[in-house]
Amino acid sequence: MKRRDFLSSVGAVGTAGALSAPALLTTIGRATAQGNDIPVGLLFSLTGAVAVVESTLHDAALMAIEEINAAGGVHGRQLRPIIEDPASDPATYADRARRLMIRDKCVSVFGSYTSASRQAVLPVTEQRSNLYWYPTLYEGRECSRNVMYGGAVPNQQQDELIPWAIENFGPRFYMIGNNYVYPKEENNYCKTLLAKHGGEVVHEEYVPLGHSDFSSVINRIRAEEPDVIFATVVGDSDVAFARQYHAAELDPARMPVVSLTRSEVEVKAIGGEAAAGHFSSAPYFMGTQTPENERFVESYKSRYGADQVTHFVSEAAYFQVYQFKAALEKLDPANITPETIRDAAVGLTLTAPQGEVLIDENLHTHLWPKIGQWQSNGQAEVLLQSQERVAPLPYAAYEGQTCTGEGLVRA
Amino acid sequence: MDVILNQMFAGLSMASILLMIALGLAIIYGAMGVINLAHGEFVMLGAYAAWALQTYAGFSIIVALPFVFVAVGAVGWIIERVIVQRLYHRPLDTILATWGIGIILQQVVRLSVGAESRFVKGPELLSGNIEIGGLVMSNYRIFVIVFSLAVLAASWALMTRTEFGMKLRAVIQNRQISECYGIEAKHIYSVTFAYGAGLAGIAGALITPLFSTIPTMGTGLVVDAFLVVIVGGLGSLLGAASAAVLIGEATALFSMLFNDTLGRIAVLAGIIVLIRFRPRGLFPSNTRR
Amino acid sequence: MTTRLFYDLVALVIFALVIVLGVPALMGFDGFELNTFARYLALGIASLALALSWGGAGLLNLGQAATFGMGSYAMAMHLKLKASGDGLPDFMGWNNVPELPLIWVPFHSLGFTLLAGLLVPAFVGGLIAMFMFRARIAGVFVAIITLAFLVAFQLVVIEEQGITGGQNGLTGLAPLNVLGWSVDTYGVGFYYLVAGCLVTAITIGLYLTHSKFGLILRAIREDADRTRFLGYNVANYQTVIFCISAALAGWAGMLYTLVLEFASPTYMSVSFSLAIVIWCAVGGRDSVLAAAIGAILVNLLEGRLSDIFVEGWNLMLGVIFVFVVMFMPRGLNGLVGDAWRFIGGRLQKERTISTRPHLQPEPVKSGQEN
Repeated sequence: MKRRDFLSSVGAVGTAGALSAPALLTTIGRATAQGNDIPVGLLFSLTGAVAVVESTLHDAALMAIEEINAAGGVHGRQLRPIIEDPASDPATYADRARRLMIRDKCVSVFGSYTSASRQAVLPVTEQRSNLYWYPTLYEGRECSRNVMYGGAVPNQQQDELIPWAIENFGPRFYMIGNNYVYPKEENNYCKTLLAKHGGEVVHEEYVPLGHSDFSSVINRIRAEEPDVIFATVVGDSDVAFARQYHAAELDPARMPVVSLTRSEVEVKAIGGEAAAGHFSSAPYFMGTQTPENERFVESYKSRYGADQVTHFVSEAAYFQVYQFKAALEKLDPANITPETIRDAAVGLTLTAPQGEVLIDENLHTHLWPKIGQWQSNGQAEVLLQSQERVAPLPYAAYEGQTCTGEGLVRA
Repeated sequence: MDVILNQMFAGLSMASILLMIALGLAIIYGAMGVINLAHGEFVMLGAYAAWALQTYAGFSIIVALPFVFVAVGAVGWIIERVIVQRLYHRPLDTILATWGIGIILQQVVRLSVGAESRFVKGPELLSGNIEIGGLVMSNYRIFVIVFSLAVLAASWALMTRTEFGMKLRAVIQNRQISECYGIEAKHIYSVTFAYGAGLAGIAGALITPLFSTIPTMGTGLVVDAFLVVIVGGLGSLLGAASAAVLIGEATALFSMLFNDTLGRIAVLAGIIVLIRFRPRGLFPSNTRR
Repeated sequence: MTTRLFYDLVALVIFALVIVLGVPALMGFDGFELNTFARYLALGIASLALALSWGGAGLLNLGQAATFGMGSYAMAMHLKLKASGDGLPDFMGWNNVPELPLIWVPFHSLGFTLLAGLLVPAFVGGLIAMFMFRARIAGVFVAIITLAFLVAFQLVVIEEQGITGGQNGLTGLAPLNVLGWSVDTYGVGFYYLVAGCLVTAITIGLYLTHSKFGLILRAIREDADRTRFLGYNVANYQTVIFCISAALAGWAGMLYTLVLEFASPTYMSVSFSLAIVIWCAVGGRDSVLAAAIGAILVNLLEGRLSDIFVEGWNLMLGVIFVFVVMFMPRGLNGLVGDAWRFIGGRLQKERTISTRPHLQPEPVKSGQEN
């Protein structure tokens, strides 16, 4: 009896030792071993709740890498994508980011969709002076020198949208968003714009992420009768919201949903019929008519299937890889580090599917905002396109603070 | 006033969805004492089955329902045969095993169908609203409410008015003695599990026009469904129905007074207190265990 | 000292040697690998905390992640205050919080933080335990109540963004500074800090299981009513072990924040809580040491599998887990025990056969008495 207990406890330790020994513990040095390649990390969730969107970003970024490699790489060297799946969990993001940046010695990592995951990666990328290419629209108020922000910040999505919405539908806004920092910041900025242009907020509310029953919200909307539903609901919450909004037969002509987050992916899941008539503000829609976009959409579809869609985040995931490549080309091949890549990327222009984009010295991107109305075929018709490229102002809602090439400056 | 009426309808609608999901769980839990954490994944399978039938065979959701029921029921039957059956004498371990099964089902669907959100079209017939004064009721939601009541009635009839139901009740009362009378308890359990899984599948198919169909959609649902079963009481169908209405209406009420998050927190707190003082639920059945 | 305790201690010493000497040597004292392994060790503490209440007393606590999260937030609050200097933590500005909430003020002190990281979880765990066990709630209902509490608690944390940072959690933390030693999470020193904590926690766990207290808890696990008839106050014993388990989970949470350099509400999610249960089950719920090893092994395996099979590792994890629950209910601990018993049995048989011709069967030693 006692001996058995002893043996079992000791044996368990022994198994642990035996199992964990060489096979599991010694995988160091894999990154540098393979000669001349340039290791880049891809950190998009392929499983879990965020995978719905992030898998498309993964596909777009991977496609860009393979296109570049097929065309001969950079300086005659191939980009070697190292793929990790952070499974939609912030702790796993942090863990996988460490692997990519420290163990695999990637010179850049492309990744993630949610703010929470970006923040989980931040401590590693800043400490290790690495470079994190983040393709998603986000709430601003961040000025890291180690993140390349490819998506829109509030001023880029809202400056044109809000006056346009007030003029076309009326001044009474109903704000609905998921309960986290992104919707709150967008709404903060929206309120300053509303104050400027004579609009008002009739109700502001936040539902938990992943919330799926909007009957109470819809009842409130029906009771308040606002002119515009200003939506910052994300992911499957947005899908559920749009479907139930449609099922409740609220008329998009009278109470349109104006969304900052709804893209072709969500619309595909919502169904064109339910999404039709509502609006989104984004720098890119799948139907954008530029030669670059035609090429992008065509190769995306031929690679991943004709029923696949591109959208404003996957477009950024795609062009950021090309920005990375352009920065590498400006560099001496012997001197490729995350910092030199960053410095070479500042001021770089590139013709992306949406138009010519420019990397600001604050590492955000100058973009071409558009307002699109969803049609029943799942595509957006662009109603309004910004006349000029709009500069990113991540601190637009906060007077006296600017994000510059030297980081955050407080006046 | 209109607001209150509309909110009551919203609560009823939430309750009907909860009931649809919880009913299968209540039957499985009541009959075998198995806490089936894979139940949410059965719901997900039902949603995907409805999607597949609509996309590849052109079935509308309502036509697809019987097929979904059979398909998900069959999956449930296999899982019961292969895994759950071996764990009846270890109830806490069934929690763990079914959680693992849930992970497996989720990953299988993700790997075979893909992670993206799938679109299922609601039935044309049931689009639109009925308006009575200020009360606006979506036809589809009314349909779900009626349908859930019908399923409740059918399940009750199955349990109390059929030979199968009689055998099941006998096995629940005393497995050994029932087996002495020639009832094959093993077989009864398999069929009951399959029936519960099939109901979950129907629930999944029914909610697809309202929710987003993704591989992880079941995870959030199972906790809620569980609370319904526990509040309702061991193996009591009527209990599950009343608990669903109670929780749905309470959520709607709190959501009207505060917001959806606080509504959920308040309901959870209420449930914890309720379990503390009535651990056998609101409507415990009188079976001896 | 009983024999069983002696052997457990030997196992502990071997384990300690492996993680203190073997693991760092195998990994060539590489900062990144040590940091990753330190994460597994921290999770090992969470798993052994669960083994104390689940294996030791039969109370399946599905809300373990809540107390884990409390510890991790306590530590994160301290480090966030340090990172913010004299100003407000940045996220409070975003949420229009004018001044530091009262609950944050004492976290300026490291001493208070460490105490709070242990005592707040213990206190909350104790409250829930008293609430449940006074009413003689047992079995599945314990699991459900703790699960409901976890869901509600996580919702509160996400809702109160001004205080907790909401969905994004607490990020942008300063490094920990203990008595002038600034902790570098990629350093060998930090690894030994975590390893030391784990060994200490296991020692505490072993002490508890081998004490009279642990014996009574096992009696309660087997039959609460009979133990009650013997005059023991079952609820009090259950409450105390719940408190201890919660405090250990809080301790694990504090270390986890240090390793990952942020605290997130996902540390309090249902899936994380069930993951802890999985580790514990894989290792063996009956032994604190085995539970800790289970956590380390599963995470190590997960780390490696996800490297090799980016697409399919989640599926494998599910399959492995179902397999373990079905065929190895006592976890690796039980499996290893059975294997030894099998080998031991064979040896015994051989010995009996070989001694038969001499007609002088030696008495088979079966070990000393308890």
